[in-house]
Parts: sequence; C-alpha cells; structure tokens
Amino acid sequence: MALTTAPDPTRRGTGSVRPDATRRGTGRIRHGEGLAGYVFLSPWLIGLMAITAMPMLLSLYLSFTNYDILTPWSEVEWVGLANYERMFTSDPSWWHSVRVTLSFALIAVPLKLAAALGVALLLNRAWRGVGLFRGLFYLPSLLGGSVALAIVWVNMFNREGAFNSFLALFGIEGKPWVNDPDWALETLMVLAIWQFGAPMVIFLAGLKQVPTELYEAASVDGAGAFRKFVNVTLPMLSPVIFFNLVLETINGFQGFTAAFVLSNGTGGPVDSTLMYTLNLYITGFTDLEMGYASAMAWVFLIAIALITVVFFSTGRFWVHYSDGEDR
Amino acid sequence: MHPATHPTANASDGRTYRTPLLRRRLLRGMLAAVVALPLVGAAAACGGDDAGSDGKVKLSIFWWGGDARAQLTEQALDLYTTKNPDVTFEKVWQANQGYFDKLATLTAGGNPPDIFQIDDNFLAEYAARNATLDLKKYADSGDLDTSKFPPSLLQYGEVDGKLAGLAAGENTQGLVYNKTLLTKNGLPEPTTGMSWEEHIAWAEQVSKKAGVPGTQDPSADYKAFWVWLRQQGKDLYAGTDLGFTTEDVTRWFELWKGARDRGATPTPDIIHEGNATDITKQLVVTGKSGTSWVWVNQMPELKKNTADELGVVAYPGDPSAQWARASMYWSVFRGSKNADVAVDVINFLANDPEAVKLLGTDRGLPSNMDLRRVVSDDTTDPAMKQSIEVENTLAETFGEAPQVPIKGHSKVRAELIKAAENAQYGRATPAEAAAQFVEASKAAIAS
Repeated sequence: MALTTAPDPTRRGTGSVRPDATRRGTGRIRHGEGLAGYVFLSPWLIGLMAITAMPMLLSLYLSFTNYDILTPWSEVEWVGLANYERMFTSDPSWWHSVRVTLSFALIAVPLKLAAALGVALLLNRAWRGVGLFRGLFYLPSLLGGSVALAIVWVNMFNREGAFNSFLALFGIEGKPWVNDPDWALETLMVLAIWQFGAPMVIFLAGLKQVPTELYEAASVDGAGAFRKFVNVTLPMLSPVIFFNLVLETINGFQGFTAAFVLSNGTGGPVDSTLMYTLNLYITGFTDLEMGYASAMAWVFLIAIALITVVFFSTGRFWVHYSDGEDR
Repeated sequence: MHPATHPTANASDGRTYRTPLLRRRLLRGMLAAVVALPLVGAAAACGGDDAGSDGKVKLSIFWWGGDARAQLTEQALDLYTTKNPDVTFEKVWQANQGYFDKLATLTAGGNPPDIFQIDDNFLAEYAARNATLDLKKYADSGDLDTSKFPPSLLQYGEVDGKLAGLAAGENTQGLVYNKTLLTKNGLPEPTTGMSWEEHIAWAEQVSKKAGVPGTQDPSADYKAFWVWLRQQGKDLYAGTDLGFTTEDVTRWFELWKGARDRGATPTPDIIHEGNATDITKQLVVTGKSGTSWVWVNQMPELKKNTADELGVVAYPGDPSAQWARASMYWSVFRGSKNADVAVDVINFLANDPEAVKLLGTDRGLPSNMDLRRVVSDDTTDPAMKQSIEVENTLAETFGEAPQVPIKGHSKVRAELIKAAENAQYGRATPAEAAAQFVEASKAAIAS
C-alpha cells in the first residue's frame, strides 16, 4: 500500500526533470472512453456512496439525536446540541480520553518518524544484504494493527514476559508494564514506534531522489556528514517528512486495536489506555449511546481536520520543493 | 487511507486541463450511483421476508457460546422442527466477545433475531428500550409454562413489571478454591458461612504458608460487592437509583485495602490481570491466587484449565444474600412477526423433557425444577456434578432475588473497576475512590 504511494510526495520535485507525459495523454480522452471509465469506476462510486458517504451523513444526523441503536428510527428524538454540550461540559471520561490520545500522538509520532528516518538513512547505502534488512524492518508495519501482534505484545510486556527476563539478565527488576497504569500507554507507544516500517520505506524512496550532485557540491565546499544531513538531506526530504508527519499523526490519533486488545476492550488499567476511538466504541456499543458516540466521532473528525490544516499552513515555512514551484 | 491519496493527487493535477468536462462527468457518475442505490437496497430487502403464506415459519435465533453449546442447542432446535415440521430455524451463534455489539447492530440494521440469548447485564438495557417482547401475557395464559420455575428465578426476568426474558438456566455466586494447594500445605478449606473477616484471615494464612496469595481481591467485582451489600441490608439498585451510599463503598474498599496490606491478596497488577481477562485466566487457574470469585456454573470451564483439584463454596457472609440468578435468558424480539411461535419455542426449550435433557446444564441448572432433578441425576461430569451439588445446597438458603440491574449497569460495572483499581494501585484512598465511583455511577444511570 505504502509502496505505491511512496513516489507521490516527490512528484512535484521530479516534475521538472521528467516531462509529465501522462498528463497530456489524459487530456485527450474521447467521450466513449470517459463513459467506459465511469462504468468501471461505478462499483467504487456506489461503494463510496453506500458505505462511506451515506453512513457519514447519517451519523451527522444521529449526533443530534438520542439514538441508542435499539429503538426504531421512528422513535429517535432530536436533542439538538445536547450531545456536544455534554461532551464538553460534563463528561470527564471524554476529556480523559482526549488527554490520553494527545499524549500518545505527541510522543509516539515524532519518535516513530525519527526511528523511521534513522533506519532509512542506514539502509540507504549499498551494502550486501541491505534488501533483506529493508524487508525485515518493514515487516512489523505489514502486520499493522493486527490483533495477533497486540496479544504478543501483552505477553512480552507483562510481569513474566520476555522483556522482563531480558532486563533480569542485567539484574534489573522489571515492571508489570501492560498491567501498570503508569506504563500501559507507554508500552503501546513502544509498539507504535516499533512499527515504523511504512514511513521508513517512504523515507527511503525520498532519499533516493536527492540528487548526488548536491552532496558532491557540499563535499567540495568542505561540508562534513552532519552538515550534509542538515543542509542537503533534510531540506530535500522535507516534502516526504511532511507527508509522513501528516499521515502518521492521523494514524496515531486513530490508534484502537492495540489498546482494545491490551485492555480487553475496557481502556484499563484505570483508564490509562482509554484512547479516543476506544472510548467512542465503548460509548456506542457497550453503553448503547450511539447518538452521543456519533457526536464524539464528528468532533474527532473536525479535530483531525484542524490539525491537518495547521500542518499544511505551517508546512509553507519548512517544506521545500526543489523545482521552486511553490516558493 | 493510502490509496485515497492517489486519486486526489491526480485529480488536482488534471483540473487545470479540463475542469468543466470532468466535473460534468463526475456529477453524472454520482447521479447514476444515487439512482442505483435504492435498487441495491430494494434487492437486499427482498431477501428479508421470513413468513411464507403457506404457514411455514422460519425463525432466526442468536446466542453466544462455544461449540459444545452450539451442538446441543442445534439438536434441541432440530427436535422442535421434528415435532413442528412447519417451523425451521436460522441459527446464528458466536463467542461471547462481540456478541452484544452484533446483536445491537443487527437490531439497528432492521433484521434482529426473533429469539436471542441475553444476560442480566443487558436485559434491562434492552427491556427499557422496548426491544424485548413482554412475555407476561403468555405466562398468564399458560402458553409459556412457568409453573415449575422457582418463583425468584422467574421474578429475576422482570423489568418494570414486564417479563423481559425467560431464565434459560440458574446459577449463583461461587468462591472457587484450589483444593490441591491447601491439602499440600495442610491448610483448612474455606466453608460456606464464614465471615468476610474470617475469609481474609484465612487468606492471609494461605499466603504465608503456601506462598501463593490466598484470595483474589474482588473489590472491583460487582457481584462480590453486590452480595456484600445485600448482607448489609442494602442492594446494588433501588428502583432507578443506586441502592448504596458512598460510605458503603468506602467500607467495601477499606475492607480490601486491609486485606492487601496484610498480604492476603496478590499485587494490583495481578489483580487487574484476573479481572481483565476471561475465565481461562482466572487466578485460581493460573496459580496466582488460592481463590477466585466466579459463578458456580463456571466450575467445569475452570476445571478444564488446571490439573489441580478445585472446590467451591458460597461467598463469605450470610449465604442468604445470594439468589437464584438467571445465568442467561431467552428473549423474543418485540417486532418479531412470529412472536407466538417464538414463545412456543422458548417454552419448548425450558419445559420439554427431551429438549431439557439434551441441553443439560450448559446454560446453568435447568429452570424447570422437575426436569432439573432428572438432569442432575443423569450428569456424569464430576465438575458439573459438584457445581450442581453446591447450587442445590445453596438453593435452600437463597434469599429473594434482587431487581434486574438497571439501564446503565454496564457502565456502573466499568466505573466500579476503575474506582477499585484506583484504590488498589494506591492512586486514591478508599474514600476518594468511593466518592468517584458513586458520582460516576449516578451519572451513568441518569443518562
């Protein structure tokens, strides 16, 4: 998945080097071909309408009602902004889940990107067996939000887990990481960081695009490895960093599976892993407050949209496109 | 998410070249989709008809449980079909995890099962939302025969004066202990009727002598809290309100803080592990504590997961605080088109001698007392025999059943766990945790 999108952020950068033949080609589609296109597209379009657009609109409507999933439609009551009001004024667990999610995203996302970039730099050289290592580092990402992985994690990081046995080799006494409210969320962060393969592959693709002439020129000017990294690699890579930052932040906010599995669907111990989406799920399906859960979902959507807008507006100041289109 | 970046990127590139045409085509495509949608919906709806005009009825039935339960239930339903050839079943079952999510989703999607299994955690939630058929009129007319039911078991299916569910079986609270561990260390076994103080003192002794914490700390366990409350003359709920005060909860939390301080229980993370996972990871089975607080009918399941011998007694204190609890119920969906037939089916499952014998004690002891005797005479599983014996002994001491937990109960349970764990991990004093629990519970049942 990520592999196919990898070249995307660097598109514009390469645009000036490689004349974009495909663009001009698509401009001359004849009418019949266009129709055929939409015919082929129609399953996707219908799917989009039926299982994305309509449910979304429906949930927007439901967020203003007391819909509880069991009562028939005809008995659903319009409650106006009551759900939203409750969320902001009288639901401590909502605020708590916001805090948990924010701290998760603020810590895990930068560290994950740093790990991805670091390993990408190491794997960007041509040495024997590098392909194998690229594959190995990418593997955890393929497993994605899998339940199996979360179960493995629980078993690795509980009191008798492999991690504590490892610590014991050095005479360090471990903790019941996943069952300790002070550490459960941190354990989930480590899991998220460990799955840095997807951004790493994208970074690798970006690194390949940095023209070697720039490094040569920098060498001539007497720049060391660190200077080259700061003055050449980072600016040339900034569109890729930006792309990864946006994607991973959104991913980070949506973390659900691991928290669900680790806490058996409760967000425990003591709500320490009550991520926003988990709270939303519990509200909708266990507490049967689907209207309120819909309101939570919409606030979540708007929050993520806002954060993305902030990224895009600040991006202007630090994202460089080499062909100068945007600057 | 990733694939979506492609089309958008391309579209924005293309826009500068051929905006009007693209937009018109896009609109036309969307229009086509909108036109096509109702057709898809209509096609799906056609399959939903279950009652034919020729008198044949197909009932959908949904339950949770494992393979063994599925086999027994399917056999019993097939037996019904043999006797009533016009009635067939669409049987759907799955594991406990996610069952209620699916039931709610099915209901919301407009195709709820005619008959579904439910427990006391959710019965009031469903009844309060009018999702369950009131079985009272069938019980009154005799179409639903409840004459052989213990009255308290029948009563435990009533919500707001309506009979929301028919008990599919009976069980009660049970304190399961590791017999092997005690014998090996020359320790006495717990007995029914010992006080809470005696139980904790006993557990402390086990911790010291056997090197295994004597008891799982049940302060986060609503059923233990509930029994204890009833022994104090209180209850979990009183009408639509809480049946207890902050002071009661404080005393409950302090009781267990004392036990933890004396080393009678495991450490908080182990306690949490026992609370948070399924029956197969109960501490008495994993060897991390000498006792677990469970339901008596879970004994055979526990036994499967350990080589040690297990024993079971009532919770500490006066055993009359315990009651004949419906382990689960059969409910009929209010909107069922074949409600009368559905009621006849659950009547069959509860009162037909052959069906009850088939089903055995899988859903707890049979609700029909006459047939219960037959089934308990027949059983050969030693663990099941033991739990039947305990249940039968306790049944003589049972008090009146409390009201079924009210709407919001699942949240109250979650809040109890949170508050008790706050106290266990030392993040709050018992009084602080109790205040937090009562406040959160009031909010939960009010909404």
